[in-house]
Amino acid sequence: MISSDKDITKKTSSKKVAAKKSVAAKGKSACAPKAKVVRPTWQSWFKQRRWKSFSFQQETWEAYLDGKSGLVHAPTGLGKTYAVWGGPVMEWLKENPAPDAWPKASEPLRVLWITPLRALANDTVNSLQLPIKEMGMPWTVELRTGDTSSSVRQRQRKKLPTALVTTPESLSLLLSYEDSREMFSSLRCIIVDEWHELLSSKRGVQTELCMARLRHWLPELRIWGVSATLGNLPQAMDVLLGRAARDKNTTLVSAPVKKKFEMTTLMPKRLERFPWAGHVGLNLLPEVIRQIQKKQTTLLFTNTRSQTEIWFQALLNAKPEWADKIALHHGSVDRAVREEVETRLRDGSILCVVCTGSLDLGVDFSPVEQVIQVGGPKGIARLLQRAGRSGHQPGAVSRIFCVPAYAMELVEFAAARDAVGKGDMESRLPLSAPLDVLVQHIVTLALSRYAEAKALYDEVTSTHAYANLGKEEWQWVLDFVIRGGKALRAYPQFQRVKDSNGQLSVEQPLIARFHRMSIGTITSDAMMSVRMQSGSYLGHVEESFIARLRPGDGFSFGGRQVELVRVRDMTAVVRVSRKPSRRVPQWMGGHMPLSSQLAAAVRTKLADARRGIFEGPEMQTVAPVLQVQMQWSVIPDPDELLIESAHTREGYHYFVYPFAGRLAHEGLSALAAFRLGKLAPRSFTLTMNDYGFGLTTPEAIPLDVATWRKVLSPEHLLEDMLECLNSGELAKRRFREIARIAGLIFQGYPGSGKSTRQIQASSGLFYDVFSRYDPENLLLDQARREVMQQQLDATRLSQTLHMVRDMKITLMATERLTPLSFPLWAMWIQGQISTEAWSDRVKRMAEQLEAAAAKTESSS
Amino acid sequence: MINPEPLPDSPAPLPSHYAGALPLQWADKELWLLPERALWWPEMKTVFIADTHFGKAATFRLAGIPVSECSHLADLDRLTLLLNRTRADQLIILGDFFHARQGHNETTIKALADWRQQCSTLNIHLIAGNHDRHAGRPSSLLNMEYHEEPWIYGPFICCHEPERVEGYAVLAGHIHPTYRLAVGGDGISAPCFHVSDQVMILPAFGSFTGGARVRPSGDERVYLVGPDQVIAVPNKASRR
Repeated sequence: MISSDKDITKKTSSKKVAAKKSVAAKGKSACAPKAKVVRPTWQSWFKQRRWKSFSFQQETWEAYLDGKSGLVHAPTGLGKTYAVWGGPVMEWLKENPAPDAWPKASEPLRVLWITPLRALANDTVNSLQLPIKEMGMPWTVELRTGDTSSSVRQRQRKKLPTALVTTPESLSLLLSYEDSREMFSSLRCIIVDEWHELLSSKRGVQTELCMARLRHWLPELRIWGVSATLGNLPQAMDVLLGRAARDKNTTLVSAPVKKKFEMTTLMPKRLERFPWAGHVGLNLLPEVIRQIQKKQTTLLFTNTRSQTEIWFQALLNAKPEWADKIALHHGSVDRAVREEVETRLRDGSILCVVCTGSLDLGVDFSPVEQVIQVGGPKGIARLLQRAGRSGHQPGAVSRIFCVPAYAMELVEFAAARDAVGKGDMESRLPLSAPLDVLVQHIVTLALSRYAEAKALYDEVTSTHAYANLGKEEWQWVLDFVIRGGKALRAYPQFQRVKDSNGQLSVEQPLIARFHRMSIGTITSDAMMSVRMQSGSYLGHVEESFIARLRPGDGFSFGGRQVELVRVRDMTAVVRVSRKPSRRVPQWMGGHMPLSSQLAAAVRTKLADARRGIFEGPEMQTVAPVLQVQMQWSVIPDPDELLIESAHTREGYHYFVYPFAGRLAHEGLSALAAFRLGKLAPRSFTLTMNDYGFGLTTPEAIPLDVATWRKVLSPEHLLEDMLECLNSGELAKRRFREIARIAGLIFQGYPGSGKSTRQIQASSGLFYDVFSRYDPENLLLDQARREVMQQQLDATRLSQTLHMVRDMKITLMATERLTPLSFPLWAMWIQGQISTEAWSDRVKRMAEQLEAAAAKTESSS
Repeated sequence: MINPEPLPDSPAPLPSHYAGALPLQWADKELWLLPERALWWPEMKTVFIADTHFGKAATFRLAGIPVSECSHLADLDRLTLLLNRTRADQLIILGDFFHARQGHNETTIKALADWRQQCSTLNIHLIAGNHDRHAGRPSSLLNMEYHEEPWIYGPFICCHEPERVEGYAVLAGHIHPTYRLAVGGDGISAPCFHVSDQVMILPAFGSFTGGARVRPSGDERVYLVGPDQVIAVPNKASRR
């Protein structure tokens, strides 16, 4: 690792002794130890390993020793871990200069290392232990996650290790114990790894709250985050540090090093056969197999778990001899299987792993030689991160091969290359005040008994997420955890949390036990485990998928063909099946929408195409398809909204192309259908992808530009969306997660069996009961807000509508489905909006069924 | 808003207590499926309901989960209205009247006892369901006749858990049936009556109860229960 002379010279002005040591000898021997040093130093250890430090690492060490908090960002594989680990180690070595005076017993807790992924935690512990062991420091570095054995946990409860590597959930659990304050009393520093992964999630908010608690006890605490590159790094740091970010003692450290990036799109042999729709890209299977054969180890990324199952099966069918050389890795596969795959990746004994985002994160699989991305990259950051899985060593080139699933994705890849070239990057936005997480956290703290309502308000509002939490909302949350909210006032005997003069506690052991079992924000609601008849665990799948199957039905799971034997409690028992089945489980939430940055780049590419400019191999390949689009309809300019209409057997279709990403289109389609339905009672079915959305209705609607302008107007957006949400199922679905986090749904725990069945109810039921009898419940509000913000991407939706207002609208009635509309027509229907009365709608549907039945009868 | 008079071309109005209900010849008897999620047998002035699950909210509250009693109280009001409108003499509850032993608390018991006083002339029969067996017999204040299943009532066998019994028509609950009607991408879910030649499963009466989706086979029928109407779903199997 080479750092520039200029950077190092700059650092010599530093006041800190330890830092001076590292830079005393300028230039090539930046980290040379002092000649007669007997005592180990961080720098001498670096030297001993023949490493040279980067300037961003030195900057971080100095800032740490200066008592600062901050955020480090650097591409993966550049030594971020040691950048943040160096400070605490150097500080201790400075305080304990003489090795012969080092204590025999391990030092008490100093560093808390929070990581979002259990899978990462093991590797992290190994990296952290390396310098400790080699320098012989009396430190212990240990893991504590949901998988840690109870004997280790017990031991840790008595004495925590010097550095504790843990997850947000496990930390939260630690804070629920009555001796939590003593446990953490010697803590000096919190390090949050992969902060970008937590930043815009409820787990991130949970982390913020836990850190606020520790900061409240230990005002001198230093907090450091590690993040991949984001479009909004300063904000990411503000969120991490909360109120502490306001004081000047913070630093944002950037690694100036850029990784080299190379991207190649695999092209089909016969261009004219390129499909207009389809989501898997299997037509390129031969090319992909050829590519896999060229290298020793390949990661093949898809965009959803279902696609990994499909691709894995396809590879096996084409290459049966690869049976023990390829593997599958996604978040729903049993952990033991995933770990085995990861081990084989590390030692390079595997040819190809088909995976999803579960392997996106920073584990170092050095033997990975190439990465293949199936389907559109959807975001610039994600493309870079995945590419970065290959050539993990500093200085190496990241190479990625792209496999477009259908024509339009070629444009997406071409656009992505342009965007990477220009250095565009997406932002990840933090969440604001999710009350369910706060409800859970307050109960957690009440368990610890260090919970005094007034001080808690101050503590909670010191986080970024709740900085603007009003007194009223706070009061509601308190009221909710204590009495269950307004609707429960009538039951004085009901008390989840006891309030004695502002001092909160949980008195009932049963409630305490339930709560500790349910801590966390990752929803695995309605998940069923999948087991073989012999009892071995395969993984989990959504209940709704299993509910559609009958015993004997086959499906692929974890790369195997299985068939359902029976369902018992929350377990689907399966056995190996020889019947081939094309059925593949769908996991929710697998779709990441096209980012606005990438969408803009796509529109630019399309505008070029409209003018006959087809630059680069992807655009040249897709040219014939785009020419068809131009002949049958138009290619919209960036300031033009294209709306196509067509008539097929299914009914009358309206296709609108705002290029705003799938989520915003979900909201837009619902809004448009709802507003059209207000003109006359109608039912619509909705489909959407990243480029546009489609509405289908049984009868034609005469629509001119003026009507469309009204339908897509930004006026009264909020009111209409809320009204539309009430008529739909969206908020109800969102409420699942909220209900679980807020402790309404108890998921049970191993071995509890039937004892908890009496208190199980679905979130939908809670939603209905609350809507009717406790309509002021703020958790309902939150569900609606989350649907708006997260599920429907309200910000982007509103921006899009404002943009559309100034756009030219072009209506095209097309004879046939076009390259743009075909994918929307061919996909599964993803929603319905109806303004018909319940009985009218049911009667119409019943009549349709009768008519269909009559037709079949007369023809047979 | 009150309509001044019926529209001239509207069909003859049904008797008021039958609004939205669906008459059915079943087991040679005239039965009415009511949108209140109940079954009405006019000949014997009998209302059948199933799965009220009273006390469920209280059970949740004991575990620290905040659910108010409101849904149960609303269910009781709905039941009172139903009994008044039909002027029923008999009420037969096809099991799971009470949710759990822990649900026997003052609030719930008092509400039920008050309700019982209002309809003191009514005969109530409770067929024991799996929940009732765990919850124990209902308080004597409720003045109910408690029967183990199966209990024979005229041509009917009243059960909690549905079971075929040769030569009898079986009325049962337990399943909490719901059905999803879907045509061409449009779909709607609702509680339903699930009916075959020999067994009729009633929807759960309680509103704080979940549902299980049913898939009727060839000779079975499903009747969707909407907010104010019961609608027959055409038998899909006849298409084949």
